[in-house]
Amino acid sequence: MTTKVRPKNETARAGVPLAVRAMEGEWAPDRINTGALHEQLSYRAAGNPPGTLPTTAISNCFPGLELDFRNVWKKLFVGIEMHESDNLVVGTDPDPEEIRKLRYHRLVAVSIPGAEGAVVQPLVINVRGPNPRGKETDLGLQALEWSNAFAYLVAAGGQRVTCAFSPRQAFDPVSPDAPTISVTLLVRSFFEPGSAVIARDLVEPGQLTQSLCSPWQNDYRECACYYWAASRPDFVNVEAAPGGTSTGDNWMQVRGSQAGPYLPDGFGGPGLLTYEDMFRRWETELRFEIAGRDTE
Amino acid sequence: MTIRSLRILPPLAIARLGSSPEPLENYDVRVPPGDPLGFREIHGAETLVVDRRRGTISRSYTPKAIHFKDRRRRVKPVAPFLEVWADVNGSLVPLTTSLLEKNKLSIDDVEWRAQVGNHKAFRRTGETDDRIDADTGWFRGHGLHRLAGRCPNFIDGKSIPFGDVQFIRPGRKFPGLRLRFTPAKGLIYGAVDLHRLDDVADVVYDSRRGSWSGYSDDNAVPPLSVTNPGWIYANIGDGRTTSRGYLDDECDGIVEVRIIAGRKTRLQAFARIGAGPPDFAPDSFPVRTIADELEQALLGPDVASSDVSPEWTEEIIRRAFETVRLQNTVALNGNPINGAVANSMASQDSDLGRAETPIMAPAIVDSVALQALHQSVFAALRSESAVWFGQVLRRYDQVGDLTDAGRRKMPAMMRGSDGLHLALTRRQHNAVIGSGNRQATAKDAEAVTFTAPTTPKGEEPR
Repeated sequence: MTTKVRPKNETARAGVPLAVRAMEGEWAPDRINTGALHEQLSYRAAGNPPGTLPTTAISNCFPGLELDFRNVWKKLFVGIEMHESDNLVVGTDPDPEEIRKLRYHRLVAVSIPGAEGAVVQPLVINVRGPNPRGKETDLGLQALEWSNAFAYLVAAGGQRVTCAFSPRQAFDPVSPDAPTISVTLLVRSFFEPGSAVIARDLVEPGQLTQSLCSPWQNDYRECACYYWAASRPDFVNVEAAPGGTSTGDNWMQVRGSQAGPYLPDGFGGPGLLTYEDMFRRWETELRFEIAGRDTE
Repeated sequence: MTIRSLRILPPLAIARLGSSPEPLENYDVRVPPGDPLGFREIHGAETLVVDRRRGTISRSYTPKAIHFKDRRRRVKPVAPFLEVWADVNGSLVPLTTSLLEKNKLSIDDVEWRAQVGNHKAFRRTGETDDRIDADTGWFRGHGLHRLAGRCPNFIDGKSIPFGDVQFIRPGRKFPGLRLRFTPAKGLIYGAVDLHRLDDVADVVYDSRRGSWSGYSDDNAVPPLSVTNPGWIYANIGDGRTTSRGYLDDECDGIVEVRIIAGRKTRLQAFARIGAGPPDFAPDSFPVRTIADELEQALLGPDVASSDVSPEWTEEIIRRAFETVRLQNTVALNGNPINGAVANSMASQDSDLGRAETPIMAPAIVDSVALQALHQSVFAALRSESAVWFGQVLRRYDQVGDLTDAGRRKMPAMMRGSDGLHLALTRRQHNAVIGSGNRQATAKDAEAVTFTAPTTPKGEEPR
């Protein structure tokens, strides 16, 4: 499979990624080729600390911290609106009827045009693993995340592609092998023409943050999961412990005079910050971690 | 020197909330020389000080040290500048007053507009009157323009401050056209009925008009229309996850610039902005970021051989290491601590019906051990002896493989956007594979990761 020819990005080919060089202060051009969109995407404006760059914003969005990037895909197809995290059609234009009737159908696959012919991209996978008795078994169907599933589709912006939908409304997952109906849909351009900015009609103001927790402080307490440790740390003030293991604090732990023992986060509990701490005092309670240690 | 078009750079700027009146100073982060997996060093960089009353850059300086909170322990907001660049003969250059004049334009012809929204309540209730939007309208000059978030379901006259924008007056030292977005303080706002007074900065939501206060994902129609994960809002803890009606001052939106000549818009551009929580580990970076998503969308998942580099692969490993270093991998592996298993991919997998077992062998997942493992992988990559490395990476279509070997692929113990085990972007994956780490030499990821890799066929020692 091939993608469209893209503008040449000379500086992107230097060994160290451009975003890293920008964060290090080693790449601050005063002239950028108009067609060099990767450079534009990676540009760090004068006076801006690295935290302003998208390269510091997490994208394993479940639901995310700075933005829930999954929302960028909801309106990729003209006429329908997808759920940000599921292959369910949650909205449709009133006409034509062929599109209007797709509401609550499931998008199962999309046929992506390429130089060597169209390639069918499945959008659903089978989850498989051992059951509690140890027997490997099918555990259900799951929609793939849009960003990787649509990775080749983006190049088809402005073109019509054939999409395979469940033939009727489906609130339960639908197998990629089940019968489908085909509908041809126009793919929106991901970027504004000639630029590296996400297209205006792809996401409206407020949409990139809409599926985050309200308020975000609530999620910091409630999530009790630590998949974004490079932004929202988990294990800090770590010291070597006898036996070659480590000891330290849970970032959400009320600090004592000594490091650890680490308090597991059972969605809160004694010794851990509370919802009230997050709502009323998050600025003073949450620490910045420099070199893995509490820093004000 | 004819201006053909405009751009605003960066195309997406992230702001970060904080209540200090002092914005965070500028700094660089650098990999320490001679210690490629050491904590990145933070060095002060040229900081532009804005006189908000005059709308000018009053001075610039390089701070000796960076403090992320002020003396009163308030978090310093990250307030990005957005610069206007002009396309002149196929090159983008900063737009200055001088360049404007050469095109028979003036600074007085320049107009800005910012539109941001917080649609969190709307995303749940589906009521368009729950959208909170702020729009400065088109403006000229260098005064502050408040982003007042208004909503039909608010009490009359109430709004949520989303911060402000200011067109900075170009000067001799900083002649470029730029706008600064200063985000909000990180406050919480409540509804008339279910708030607790100490939680909220103000009561803004009128519960007689809208349903956000008292809303529950339990009642969503159809049930699958809820966010994923669902039930993520402040609630009264009643078993139905009934919303307190709390709102925050995060937002995202668009900043636009246009140049008017003869009553017609001659040039225009826009960029996107967003305001989220602080980055609490500013010397560490996530393994998969919004920049990776945008790069994949821009350049595609395929990586030309001329674009791959060991440094790119190293940066991916470095970021994985920076994440692992700040994780309690014993807990995230699903090892019981004090008799309980923490919320982790191990426990999430059991919610799907999988046997609840730790992901890796419980004895080997201490943070120190896993850091050593990543250091070994990094060293092997540098010595070009890690040709097996591609085999331990989880492909995007393997996220549903919850076998023991499947769960042990990398990145491990982390959750992706679909709720399953995290995979890199396909472009990141291809970058690693393309850098020479493509040769399969082990039966599965477990063997590759936790035993010495098999010597590639044909390369056995003589």
